[in-house]
Amino acid sequence: MRPQALTTIPAAVYVLAAYAFIYLPVIVLVIFSFQDGRLPVPPFKGVSLRWYQEVFSDSDLMEALINSVMVGVVSAALATVLGFLAAHALARHRMPGAVFFQWLLMAPLSVSYLIIGIGLLITFTATGMPKSLLSVVIGHVVINLPLAFGICYSQLGGHQVSAERAARDLGAREWQVLALISVPMMWPAIAAAFFLSFTLSWDEFIVAWLVTRFDVTLPVEIWSLLRSGLDPTTNAVGTVVFAISMALVIVMELFVFRRKARA
Amino acid sequence: MTFWTRTFGIAAVFLAGIAPLHAADDELNALVWCDHSDPALLDPFEEEHGVTVNIKEYEGTGAALALLEQSQPGDWDVFVVDGVDVPRIVEAGYLAPLDREGLPLDDIFPGIRDSEIHEIGGELYAVPEKFGYNTISYNDAKVNAGDMRDIAVLWSDAYSGRIAIYDYYIPLINLVAIGLGLREDGITADELPAIREHLLKMKERSAMVGDVVSVQTALATGDVDIIAGGGEWATAVLMAEDPNMEWVNPDQGGVRWSQSIGVFSDAGNPELARKFVEYVLGPEGQARLATSSCYWAMPSNSKAALTDEEKTVLRWDEQETFIANSWPYFIPDPELDAMFLDIWTEMLQH
Amino acid sequence: MNRRGLAGWFLLAPAFLWLAAFFVVPFAVMALYSVWRREGTQLVREASLANYEAFLSKSYFLDALFNSLEITAVTVVLSVLFAYPLAYILAFLVPRRWQRLGLVLAILPFWTSYLVRSYSWLLVLSENGVISQTLVTLGLLSETMSFANSNGATILGFVHFFTMLLALTIYANLVQISPNYRRAAEDLGASRLQSFIHVVLPLSLPGVMIGAFITFVLAIGDYITPQILGGNRELVMPQAILLQVQRRADFPMASAMSLVLMLVVSAVFLASARWLKMDRV
Repeated sequence: MRPQALTTIPAAVYVLAAYAFIYLPVIVLVIFSFQDGRLPVPPFKGVSLRWYQEVFSDSDLMEALINSVMVGVVSAALATVLGFLAAHALARHRMPGAVFFQWLLMAPLSVSYLIIGIGLLITFTATGMPKSLLSVVIGHVVINLPLAFGICYSQLGGHQVSAERAARDLGAREWQVLALISVPMMWPAIAAAFFLSFTLSWDEFIVAWLVTRFDVTLPVEIWSLLRSGLDPTTNAVGTVVFAISMALVIVMELFVFRRKARA
Repeated sequence: MTFWTRTFGIAAVFLAGIAPLHAADDELNALVWCDHSDPALLDPFEEEHGVTVNIKEYEGTGAALALLEQSQPGDWDVFVVDGVDVPRIVEAGYLAPLDREGLPLDDIFPGIRDSEIHEIGGELYAVPEKFGYNTISYNDAKVNAGDMRDIAVLWSDAYSGRIAIYDYYIPLINLVAIGLGLREDGITADELPAIREHLLKMKERSAMVGDVVSVQTALATGDVDIIAGGGEWATAVLMAEDPNMEWVNPDQGGVRWSQSIGVFSDAGNPELARKFVEYVLGPEGQARLATSSCYWAMPSNSKAALTDEEKTVLRWDEQETFIANSWPYFIPDPELDAMFLDIWTEMLQH
Repeated sequence: MNRRGLAGWFLLAPAFLWLAAFFVVPFAVMALYSVWRREGTQLVREASLANYEAFLSKSYFLDALFNSLEITAVTVVLSVLFAYPLAYILAFLVPRRWQRLGLVLAILPFWTSYLVRSYSWLLVLSENGVISQTLVTLGLLSETMSFANSNGATILGFVHFFTMLLALTIYANLVQISPNYRRAAEDLGASRLQSFIHVVLPLSLPGVMIGAFITFVLAIGDYITPQILGGNRELVMPQAILLQVQRRADFPMASAMSLVLMLVVSAVFLASARWLKMDRV
């Protein structure tokens, strides 16, 4: 049993050190969100909930939160639908130029968000399109389409082909095959694509910052909060966002992915 | 069928939420410095008129002009901008003339009225609303206050690694010029090499360069002891927490900033904009603006409804001396401005 | 067959049109702007290479590029070195039923806001912050000092984020390696170390390379972490690009610089394509 201990103890130490590193900023963030004073650094002066009160009474923050949810849902839905349809086209139909299309669909993945954002900003400004949340949705679909496509494409394996062919042989139309056979069989991949897209949209800053004006998403509002004064409000917002996201992750873990794993 | 109607219904609700909306009557769009974002300033106005004030904050006139170029006509109603930049902004056609009637022009401190920049061709385009200084802020517990009276301390070795530089090239280049005795008749291209050399020296001795809140944070968290280009705006907000946060107008003099408020010529909502201008310039608005969360500074209206404690923090009684011993921003022409930005970018990267 | 071919085009069209309009067209617009230039407040619509010449002739632009490459390279290497052992331990040394929990725990802070995380690091690393105070209390430092506002702080912020990301991708790759390979190697007399070096490591490299490439792309294009943690001590490309956009509305120069950055990322992609392709095998 000695060799086992030789690897187990350093491994345990390593994992604990890694977790300490990963959690350090989060724990400090949460602790100082309760700071009874303006400065979110030691010494800790006592527990106060006033910064949470600030957060929940800040209508701009609450609006930004709702905006973020809407942008996330719409852009993730669009990215997932477009990605799924494109994946289906390239996996199931013999398309001339398939390699080119595949390359194009994956291309945004290798371009920095900043560059995508600046390109959209310049294009929108040049064409006179106003800055709005719609521009953010457009940008987020560009960012997330490759992932949604990639996830669906990699999961469109051979095992659905025969079911689809059977449906076709029985006289189903193309859209019926898609809606009644492919989508239900692909459901886990579609859900994964949607949730991943939503997560990335939810936390995306630079594109949203460049192409919005007053109606902004949560990260942009947090950025202006950061730049409008130093106090623990930012800590409180961060803690709230973390709590919401964690609740979401736990719900997904329990209901969506657990089911998928069993299926 | 119900499934689809419901789906489309939900989709419509979401899309309505993200579609760009056109200027509504009950919304005011203001392009401002960050001190105008304080709810304590905006809420009373919003409640009184039943409107929403949308603000977009920027730092530095160049940034504001960049934002304006990305906007459509009618996007903006109110503009808060460095007073010295008013002439070029009027020349570019951005501001509308203001009716003098009902504005507290006579209550503005005489030293900062600067009518030659606010009145062009007999018309009034903007009114000073707040002013202060870009000099030296410091932590009294960590440095020798006497040293701070000389601008040259910023490039001496005495406090190497303990300095934060406020990231706004206009006042900082002005401050260095004053320190070198070059500010007297404005700044010329010939003087830039000397200024550049000292900017780089200052950078070598600095710990960071940052915007308003970043330099405040650095001072408050102990990362630095001195803010080059600081002033009451950097320290007044921290004083309540730590009375050691001080600022000084050096012996050579300091740089004086002054921001003015005006209404856009293509404002979508000019009446409301006018009301906002009157509110901000009135005694209550002035007091709230002077003590807003991003930075405190002197109100331009001598009748601002401030408490005695607030006046003490703002050093209300010393203003006459400070104004006499400070220069307004020297604003370069576009060509020189490009050279300023060039040496500033070089300094950032140094 | 004909109708099915048509159906394929219908399915592909929405995604294709979206990317054409909002990805390809913006690139064309940027390419066009990059050969125009800004003089004063005017946009001069004459083709020239002035912006590219300015980029190559001014040391601060080139410095920004090299600084970006340096920070990103260090970030990628450190993140992989930190994340690999973590992923390895989770995949092979932790009992199966605890693995999922361990992994979720390792990536949970991923869901705090990216911005807030950088800001939190700034406070943790500051002179009055938790690290400096703790080291002084433990007697490891004689007086408080700041770790913030430096390239090191930027790299630390990056490594924190990408360690989580890489732990996930490397773990996913490691658990796909059939235990039979390792067993076979060990049956043939290989030590644990040998089986790691000759079996596990080569098989996991494709996953590592993909993770490393994603890290590279995300880190070199990130504005937030260097802006919050770097203290503007030395600029990176995204900061230099946004200076053009924010302070002078110089879209032509920003376009040129964005395209240069794109080119550099593409070059790195091509250089590493040999390894990136291995996952198709």
